Amino acid sequence: MTFVQTTRTWWWLVHKDLLREVRAPRVWPGMLLLGVVLALVIEMQVDLPREHRTSLVGGLFWLAAFFAGTVALDRSFAGERDDGCWQALLLYPVAPATIFLAKTTANFLALCALDVVLIPAFILFSDVPLLASPGPFLAIVLLANLGFSAVGTVVSALTNGLQHRGGLLVLLLLPLISPVVLGAAQATRLLLLGETGGEWWRWMQLLAGFAVLFVAMGALLFEFVVED
Amino acid sequence: MRYVTTLLPASFIAALTSVALVMIFLWAPREITMGDVQRIVYLHVAVAWCGLLGCVAMGLMATMYLVRRRPGWDHGSQAAGEVGWLCTTLTLVTGSLWAHEAWNTWWTWEPRLTASLILWAVYAGYFLVRSSIEDPQRRARVGAVLAIVSMADVPMVVMATRWFRGMHPVSPEMDPSMRWTLLVSVVAFTGLFSWLAVVRRKQLSLAGRVLSLEQQSEGVVRWEP
Repeated sequence: MTFVQTTRTWWWLVHKDLLREVRAPRVWPGMLLLGVVLALVIEMQVDLPREHRTSLVGGLFWLAAFFAGTVALDRSFAGERDDGCWQALLLYPVAPATIFLAKTTANFLALCALDVVLIPAFILFSDVPLLASPGPFLAIVLLANLGFSAVGTVVSALTNGLQHRGGLLVLLLLPLISPVVLGAAQATRLLLLGETGGEWWRWMQLLAGFAVLFVAMGALLFEFVVED
Repeated sequence: MRYVTTLLPASFIAALTSVALVMIFLWAPREITMGDVQRIVYLHVAVAWCGLLGCVAMGLMATMYLVRRRPGWDHGSQAAGEVGWLCTTLTLVTGSLWAHEAWNTWWTWEPRLTASLILWAVYAGYFLVRSSIEDPQRRARVGAVLAIVSMADVPMVVMATRWFRGMHPVSPEMDPSMRWTLLVSVVAFTGLFSWLAVVRRKQLSLAGRVLSLEQQSEGVVRWEP
């Protein structure tokens, strides 16, 4: 299969997931609502002066984003199983790595949509200007979402079909993505405090490193994940 | 032959571990600032190293399982993971004891401590997933993928202090006798835990064979405990 054919297949698989969500929304509304509720509940508990909130809100934002994001990851394969589409997808003459990249892209877009809702919610509730430096913040968001969606796609596919799937997904996912959570939270904190020096770059390098590592691992291992 | 393959390595490891314990508690000098509590370091460093080695061994044997599809590699991967988890637990316990004396707290969110706790949770998740799958082949495959992904946490633990400027000492100045004690301790405990992993692997292989024989003879002879 040539590169162009692979890219086209990847795009059609992403398009399929997005179109299904548009026609019969099952994942995004629940995830977005959970995100807003988490933002509300978390901010209700943080009754601190503004300077303290500035150093805390980065971590809280990513905590809400990753918790709500697990809903999207959990449902990304469950939907395929429920409708019996999974076998058809595997019979489709396409490399498992392409399916992985398509699912990761769909999950990445879902997480970006979640951030679009969460960022104004956190700005509104915490009164901390998350978008004071939009460029660097966007870089953090993109790298964190890429790492999270890559490892989340692998774990979601692995736990799909197991008993207590939801609980297992969270239990497995949170330790595995902790370098991403840590990197995103610390980079956001330093950015909000205006400290974009060497330490900020180190956290960004960590985020980028894990994002690349997780995408590469997922692409290589997905063949074994989807064997049955 | 059995003496050569089983008793000889076991005796050698027992002797080496005894030498290490004598060096830790009797030969190494008493540290001036922390006193006898500092001796925890000899055990702590050794088990921390074994915890990381267990994770790498688990991932490498899982890779071999995915390539070769022989149950022995899966048993080896599981055994390495179990010993690695035990060592990581001991790392957290000994580290906490040391931290109480050195930093006056049982726990602090220091980068390497945090990374070690994450490694412990990754191990725990791996075993939880394995225990929730009944089909041995599927369990081995899912476990192998998770074991390989888990290896991503190892560089985080190793480099945590250098990357994020933690409080953990990186390469402190030591008396030569202390350095020798640490080296012997690391070698002895690596031997001890490797031997434990080998024994556990054999046990898992035998359990697999018993299960297979039971399934073959189902309907003919049914053994009830």
